[in-house]
Amino acid sequence: MMARVTPGAFIVPDWHRCKDSKEYFNKIIQKKNRKNFGLLESPVMPPHAAVDTLDYKVFISGKSGVGKTALAARLAGLNIPSVHHETTGIQTTVVYWPVKLRENGRVLFFRLQLWDCGENALRRFDHLLPSCKEQVDAVLFLFSFTDRTSFQDLSNQMTKWTESTDCLVKVVVGTKFDLFMHCDVAERDVRKFQETWRLPVFHSGGEVSDRLGDVAPILNCLAENLWHQDCVRAGAAGRQQQHKTRTLP
Amino acid sequence: MLQDGSTQLLCLTASSGVPLFTRGASKQLPFSVIGSLNGVHMFGGGQGALLSSCETEGGGKVVWKVFHDSVMLIAVSGGGSSGACSGAEMSRLQRLLENVWSCMVLVLGQDELVNLRNIERLKRDLRSCFCLIDQLLEEKHQGVLGNLTHCADSLVPPNPTPLQEALDGFAQAADSEFGCLFVHGRIVVATEKWWRLAPQEVVLLCALVRTLSASGSASCDYPVFLPQGSPTVAHRLLHFQLLPGADVCVLCGPTPSLQKAETELVGRLWSPLIETLRSCLAVGERCLPGSVPLRPDVLALLLINRETRRSVSCVQISSHHPLSDSSLSKSRCWELLELFYIFSISRYFTQDETLCGSPEESTQSSHTEDFLHGFSHQPQQCYLVTEDCKCYGFQTQQHQFFLLMLPSVPTFALRTVATQTLTDIISATAF
Ligand SMILES: Nc1nc2c(ncn2[C@@H]2O[C@H](COP(=O)(O)OP(=O)(O)O)[C@@H](O)[C@H]2O)c(=O)[nH]1
Ligand SMILES: [Mg+2]
Repeated sequence: MMARVTPGAFIVPDWHRCKDSKEYFNKIIQKKNRKNFGLLESPVMPPHAAVDTLDYKVFISGKSGVGKTALAARLAGLNIPSVHHETTGIQTTVVYWPVKLRENGRVLFFRLQLWDCGENALRRFDHLLPSCKEQVDAVLFLFSFTDRTSFQDLSNQMTKWTESTDCLVKVVVGTKFDLFMHCDVAERDVRKFQETWRLPVFHSGGEVSDRLGDVAPILNCLAENLWHQDCVRAGAAGRQQQHKTRTLP
Repeated sequence: MLQDGSTQLLCLTASSGVPLFTRGASKQLPFSVIGSLNGVHMFGGGQGALLSSCETEGGGKVVWKVFHDSVMLIAVSGGGSSGACSGAEMSRLQRLLENVWSCMVLVLGQDELVNLRNIERLKRDLRSCFCLIDQLLEEKHQGVLGNLTHCADSLVPPNPTPLQEALDGFAQAADSEFGCLFVHGRIVVATEKWWRLAPQEVVLLCALVRTLSASGSASCDYPVFLPQGSPTVAHRLLHFQLLPGADVCVLCGPTPSLQKAETELVGRLWSPLIETLRSCLAVGERCLPGSVPLRPDVLALLLINRETRRSVSCVQISSHHPLSDSSLSKSRCWELLELFYIFSISRYFTQDETLCGSPEESTQSSHTEDFLHGFSHQPQQCYLVTEDCKCYGFQTQQHQFFLLMLPSVPTFALRTVATQTLTDIISATAF
């Protein structure tokens, strides 16, 4: 297993609050909301400030109803569906996120494609899971604060994913943290879990704010760990061109 | 039984009346009522009578239908408020049940619905259909009439040829014969084979793509069964959002994987068309290119091509209209257009059911027939004058055309305006 990355070791933490990030974050915002990019589009910087875009595949894992689809929408700044509708296949969502590297001040756009697949569909159709696993770079493990079994099942899931590949960024997110009246998972247990597995654990829930601060910690953590994983893969040489970069305009 | 205007849907096992799910209407019917609705149908069955619909004193309506001796669907409507005549409301409910059943087959496949082995599991699996079913139950799909007309809502682009070529190339590269390009949830171009799917399947797939598109997702890999073409073997519906509002999908077999299709095909084959796609998006909800002139006193229109089973519809509200002090909102216009369509086809014209290919549907046109038996001929034109607007509808061998105009248009001119408008559209677009 890879060593845990200290937050802020490789990228500038809370960069979205810094003045110099504004011109980059403006590219992912439209009329105060997050911009939705079609597959043929991407944030475009003026020629003198052009940056590279790095492409990653992130799978969202968790049992039906924990909030996978809602989290994907939250991270992308899309409307969160209010009623629970089972996701009956694979649905991917693209999130662009600018990041500033600490060591040289270089700015990169991370293009995180979130893969979400309904648990029922995974069970009913054999071809979906392999498709989700194909060249996956990171997994978001979800549990719900209102459902203890989803928390207890985490280690199970993690083992399942670690068996198939060890080059994988893993991040845990506890959803429905806003429903504290129905909280079924104690903070103490979460801390213990975090120490045992040495993995970042985030809390999510509540109204989606249009501010970036809501999602920045999770996205920064993913970006930083993915960057680190690439560095390790490339033998500490830093991420060069050899990895899949975007070919679209 | 229910609030005016709301519809509730019940699904039970046909043999034992075990409730599988209910959808719609904020206030659910009490369990005892559900039991009676099932009971009275069973009782009829025991006496050799098939109960298919009834009307309550308060104008509420109930429609029953059993599918493949395994699942019973019941639609209950509070009736009344929409102003539709009762026969039209009945056909709406019957159509709804057909559509709901097709949704269930589309998502779960026929086998699982016909061989009821594990009821609990089926109940859980049925939840996967709710997204589509809820969309059917939702009254307001502004600008989308396919659920009603069983024709594919279309958008006519200014320049279809490069899009058709790109789509054909894309489908071929994805090992698929079935491809379709959507803008604003309406079909712009499709491969030849796509048009050979049953009209109802096309409408359902459009509804599915609209929900996928509305969710803002970038791409999808959805297993789908085709209710008529392939009810027991699933295909994969690959869906890609090219630009917000512009979506392409293909029906595939086991290959290519979603990832491969997306990274290797989408950008390469569609990037050159980005400006053409943008010009389609600019057509907007008008659904007809700017080259088609529409008189300013036209409020709304629906044009159906009876051979291709496609339709275009639009509402034209110019708020600063010199002639109009009409306060009709856009959504009211859509509603009136829908009602005029239902009125016309349930009284005068026929809906081209025979082309739908489903024998089960032939029963539902009975209301039309009852009424038509009173005529010695088949009406070809009809008009309706209301306080809000004037309506004119007519059919030819090839088309059905429904037009809503401002009340200021003289009634004697309706026919001329309608004929001229249709001629203008057809000569500009060859629709
Ligand atoms: N209050 C609250 N509700 C949530 C949260 N995340 C998801 N939900 C709700 O939980 C239900 C299931 O969420 P969904 O994302 O569809 O679950 P999935 O099956 O894992 O995709 C939906 O009704 C969501 O609105 C959250 O963080 N807080
Ligand atoms: Mg989901």
